[in-house]
Amino acid sequence: MVEHVAIRGRGIGKSFTVGKVSTRVIDELSVDVASGELTLLSGPSGCGKSTLLAILSGLERPDAGSVEALGEQVWSLDRKALQRFRLHHIGFVFQGFNLFPALNSVEQVELPLSYLGLGAEETRRRAWAALDEVGLAHRRHMRPAELSGGEKQRVAIARALAKRPQLLFADEPTSALDSVSGQTVIDILHRAARVHGTMVLCASHDPRLIAHADRVLRMEDGRVLADEHHPHPPMGAHTTS
Amino acid sequence: MVALARKTLVYEWRRYLPASLAVAFSGMLLLVQLALVFGIFDSAAVYINASRGQVWVGYPGTQSIDLGRSIPRDAQMRLLMNPQVAQVEPFQWVNGDWRGSRQLGSVSVFVSGIDPAPDGLVFARAIPPALRARLEEPGAIIVDRADLPKLGIQVGQSGILNGQRVYLVGTTSGLRALGGVNIVTSLATAEQLNVGGDPRPAYYVARLRDPARAAVVAAQLDPHDRQRRYAVWSASTLAARTIHYWLFETGAGLGVVFMSLVVFLVGTVITSQTLMGAVAGSISEYATLNALGASHGALSRVVMEQAGWVGVAGLLGGGVLSAMVLLLAHSQDVPVGITVAGVTACAVLVMGITLFSGMLAVRTLRNADPARLLR
Repeated sequence: MVEHVAIRGRGIGKSFTVGKVSTRVIDELSVDVASGELTLLSGPSGCGKSTLLAILSGLERPDAGSVEALGEQVWSLDRKALQRFRLHHIGFVFQGFNLFPALNSVEQVELPLSYLGLGAEETRRRAWAALDEVGLAHRRHMRPAELSGGEKQRVAIARALAKRPQLLFADEPTSALDSVSGQTVIDILHRAARVHGTMVLCASHDPRLIAHADRVLRMEDGRVLADEHHPHPPMGAHTTS
Repeated sequence: MVALARKTLVYEWRRYLPASLAVAFSGMLLLVQLALVFGIFDSAAVYINASRGQVWVGYPGTQSIDLGRSIPRDAQMRLLMNPQVAQVEPFQWVNGDWRGSRQLGSVSVFVSGIDPAPDGLVFARAIPPALRARLEEPGAIIVDRADLPKLGIQVGQSGILNGQRVYLVGTTSGLRALGGVNIVTSLATAEQLNVGGDPRPAYYVARLRDPARAAVVAAQLDPHDRQRRYAVWSASTLAARTIHYWLFETGAGLGVVFMSLVVFLVGTVITSQTLMGAVAGSISEYATLNALGASHGALSRVVMEQAGWVGVAGLLGGGVLSAMVLLLAHSQDVPVGITVAGVTACAVLVMGITLFSGMLAVRTLRNADPARLLR
């Protein structure tokens, strides 16, 4: 596997202040994340993995340190430039699926594409392809209320993938799902990394994910305790194609 | 482009219904109060609106038709000399004191002396020719049937007006006055009743060959002289002057403005709260879109578009509600007056309510911080 660093975080620090109590969430952390891999941030809740994800993805400004993504110093960009950077390069999958109740699956996927200024035809084509990729071609015209939890998460993944981002961030993508749905979601994320060469960074305390990650960063108290590489992770049995 | 605003409105219509209803009721309140005020003050100009003449001649500077003073009789000749003028008729205005039955005491009345000829101009729209002809009898009067209880008489009975006995020969509708009772008599009877007053008429009314040219001919006929002893207006100008005078003389105009402010405030509070609730209910979805690169401006446009549609729905609903209320009012003889300008003003105010509410709701989008999705 050709290692290509997509994100370089250096000396990242972050504290949150609640009332008079200041809590150090990330402590002098440096990390590189590679393209074409599914990297898992794992650890107990409150260990800082979601905050690290937010800082690396340009959503939360760190108190200290720098983040270089695709050669760009993320936290030197102004708000608009950062938004544009996210629009063109970054996809997100959240624990809550955050789908608009009024839109069917195709529209959910088309919505962020429409901000890219693609033509109507190209938008539709990409949306269909993305839904096809997550195995939901047959659920195209259904609204979230008609989909299961796993299907909703797959629509959310399709929404993130349709932009063809180089960087895909997922926060607890399987926590709200049963084991079969969770497996399917992991496989899709893994395949996105392998097939499209996307950097997939996933924060989760779901132990089922560990076996499927190419690399696992074990975090605790705002630091990376262990950095494990799994050169040949097994693909899941429940592939969707 | 996915029509997020519209699809959400249609799919979650229950969520947006309170806002549309607030807008609809605001619109209805605005329009109905305006229609009522205009309806009431329209009756101040009933002498003009119920007559067929297009041009009115009166004392210079007259602010309201009930404030007329006598003008020279040569005005009539000047009018007739203009080839545009087809017919001229005097209109006498006498303030009167009515004594009916003892229980009712005295009532202050406005006596209108008109030409009882079948083709007479003044009150041609309110008094049919047959009834009009009966004014030829000396001492004959006609009143609005709604004023009978105030005067305390029935058709065929008599009363004392300015110390003279007069007879009620018939009633009609659409003659109600503001602040008194209108009594219509012939010019001859009016002269009898005008005890000690100036015998010259207060107004001349002219019918034009081409009714559409009222404004132009009125401008031609006006002496435009600082020393002029009479002035000429088109009927609509004099009616507007009269209504304007009453609106502000009574303070009703200020009342309308004040009520409109209250309606605007209440409508905005309810509409903005509903829209804010809707935005807050979808805040994670908006935050996700923002994370994926949709700008705050783009999200604000979605909210403003929703506000716009809520406004349009409210406008339609308010239109239907207003029509129903105004029809009901009309059927119950409640005076209502609707003008294009009034309806337009209400529509603008109503859209103002929704757009202002939309702007308030856009502020809620500040909470659409995608970093919160990761905490």
